[in-house]
Formats: sequence, structure tokens, C-alpha cells
Amino acid sequence: MTSLVDSFRTTMRGYLTYRGREGHLAFLLHRLTGLGTLLFLIIHIVDTSFVYFAPHLYAETIELYRSTPFMIGEIFLVFSVIYHGVNGVRIAVVDMWLPHKWTLTAQKNWTRWAVLITIVLWLPAAFIMFRSMLVHNFGFGG
Amino acid sequence: MEVNLRIFRYNPEAGRNKPSYDNYTLEADPTDRVLDLLELVKSYHDGTLSFRRSCAHGVCGSDAMRINGRNYLACKVLVQDVGNNITVEPILGMQIIKDMIVDMEPFFESYRSISPFLVNDEIPEDGKERLQTIEQRERFDDTTKCILCAACTTSCPSFWSNDEFVGPATIVNAHRFIFDSRDTAPEKRLDILNEESGAWKCRTAFNCTQACPREIHVTQAIAEVKNALTTGRLD
Repeated sequence: MTSLVDSFRTTMRGYLTYRGREGHLAFLLHRLTGLGTLLFLIIHIVDTSFVYFAPHLYAETIELYRSTPFMIGEIFLVFSVIYHGVNGVRIAVVDMWLPHKWTLTAQKNWTRWAVLITIVLWLPAAFIMFRSMLVHNFGFGG
Repeated sequence: MEVNLRIFRYNPEAGRNKPSYDNYTLEADPTDRVLDLLELVKSYHDGTLSFRRSCAHGVCGSDAMRINGRNYLACKVLVQDVGNNITVEPILGMQIIKDMIVDMEPFFESYRSISPFLVNDEIPEDGKERLQTIEQRERFDDTTKCILCAACTTSCPSFWSNDEFVGPATIVNAHRFIFDSRDTAPEKRLDILNEESGAWKCRTAFNCTQACPREIHVTQAIAEVKNALTTGRLD
């Protein structure tokens, strides 16, 4: 059994240098979007807890959410949630009901479809959020 | 054609305590195999270079290594398939002993854990043979092809992060007996694969299927084992 540090090093080396194809990239994006969503949830739980523990900070925190970097982050958050969900459904469906579809060609196509569906679902939301940011933070349109 | 070969080196006995790389420029034919290049270096440039090889024809599974960042058998990949600049490194997630040689014992220990042999103490009906239909034999045909090269296991992200995970190769070899109609111990193997370090650690990254030099549908075999675990059905 290797140490945690060695495992972490091997994992990072594999993630960053192993030249996998669609499946590997889909796995990395799944992990990245999962961690991103988890990070947001933690931040969200902390800021909501201010209502009880530090009410005077709550308004400031909400103000922070309206800042440009946070609003851009939220656009990517929506991408993360949609991709994580769509790709999760792809994996669950094939793994549970269609194991014979775990073939090189089928998975290449399924992965591409998962990304395409994610983008199609994400773009309208991204457009609305981006426009809202331009209106509220930069005075466009309005 | 001219090939730039970059080889991972690690040899504590000779004072090379830290991993490093040696570079060679070699003349090669496009149809030469990467194993041929390694043999060339070992024979004419540096006799201390160490790597495993045996049959050199993709059957024994000794020479799995990372070539340009991807797991292959060095004896099955041609220079024309990987280009002029070739980097050769040991497979990931195993303790490196020397150069390309890794400690395979944990891999084989995991393999042995699922009893990779036919379990059946009953006397056959005719006293001689345990007959199967073509369909019954076909059910596990794909997973009989495994040569235990570890290319799949060491390409698996779940194995990189947790070497207690039994790994794709072990699950493939369990599949070979779990779905064999003559075997009487599928539950024993399924119990092992239902543990925390078993089949559920698979994240379907699909590297295993792409790395397998025998083109076994590894991810499919793992999914079938998962289905057997959830439904209890072995058909």
C-alpha cells in the first residue's frame, strides 16, 4: 500500500500526462465539474449560514455574488451542473442497461453527444446570465 | 527515418536514485517496433537499460509500458504509429524497481484474490466432460483473451488514486469464470468484487478498453459484473 502523498502524485501525473481519449477527457471534465459544483455548494452553505451566525455579513456576501467575477463563475457553474448531470446520465444508462455499448466507437459518439447536449442546454442560460451581468454591472441596455 | 528516443531511467543500485531521462537518436524503419528500438539501445548504447520482454509478439504480456503517454505493449506498437519523437516510461501506479521494470506482485496478488481457475468439484454427468453450448462458451469468450500485461489496470484513474482497487484486469479475469456455466463459485468472486475495493470503484474512464492490446471490451465486462452484483443474474 502506497502512501497518500505517493497516490496523490501518481493520480495527478496520470490525470495530467496520460494521453487518454474521449473517455478520459470526459472523466476529467466530470470530476472537475463535480468539484466545482461542490465548491460552490460549500460557499453557498457558508453564506447562507451568515443569516443566523453573522447577519451583518449576509448583505455584503450577497453583494459579492453580484460582482463580475462571481457572475462569470456562476455561468460556468451552470455549465458544470448541466455537464455533470448529462454525463452522469450517459454513464448510468450505458452501465446499467446497455453494457454492450461500452465499445470504442459507441462511446466516442455518446461522449460527443453528452457534450453537445450540455452546450445546447447551457447556451440559453449562459446568454441570459451574461446579458444580466452586462446590464447590471456595466450599464448596457437596461 | 531518424527517431528521437527518450527513455525513462531509474536505477538506485547504480546511483541513479532520481528518475531521469536518456535521449538517443536512432536510425529506424517505420515498421520497426518500439521494442526493437529498446533492444537496439540495450545492445549497442547502454547495456544497463532494463525492461521486461519475453515472446516479443504480443502474447506473453511482459512489455507493457507508457509510450508517448499511453499504455501499449512495446512489441505491438510500430514506430510509424507513434511518430519520430518517442518517450518511453514505465506503467503508472506500480513501484518502479529499475528503469521500465515495475513490481508486478501486488497486481498478481489482486489477480489471485478472485480464484482465477475453474471451481467445480462435482462429477460430470458422463463422468468425463462438462459440456457447454456454443452460446454458453460465447458468453465469456472475450475475457478469456487476457494476457495479464497490466496495461488496463495501470491506465485506470481509480487505480492511480487507490492501489487497493482490484483493477480492471482482476475484474476481467473474474468475469471469465463468473459467467462460465461450468463454474460453481461465482458468488465467491462476486462477493469480493462487491467490496469497497471491487468493481464499484470503476469510474468508466474507458482508458482500460483503449489500452488493452488484446482488444478486450474491458469496461463492458466490468459493467456486466456490476449488473450481476445488482441483479444476481448470470445470464
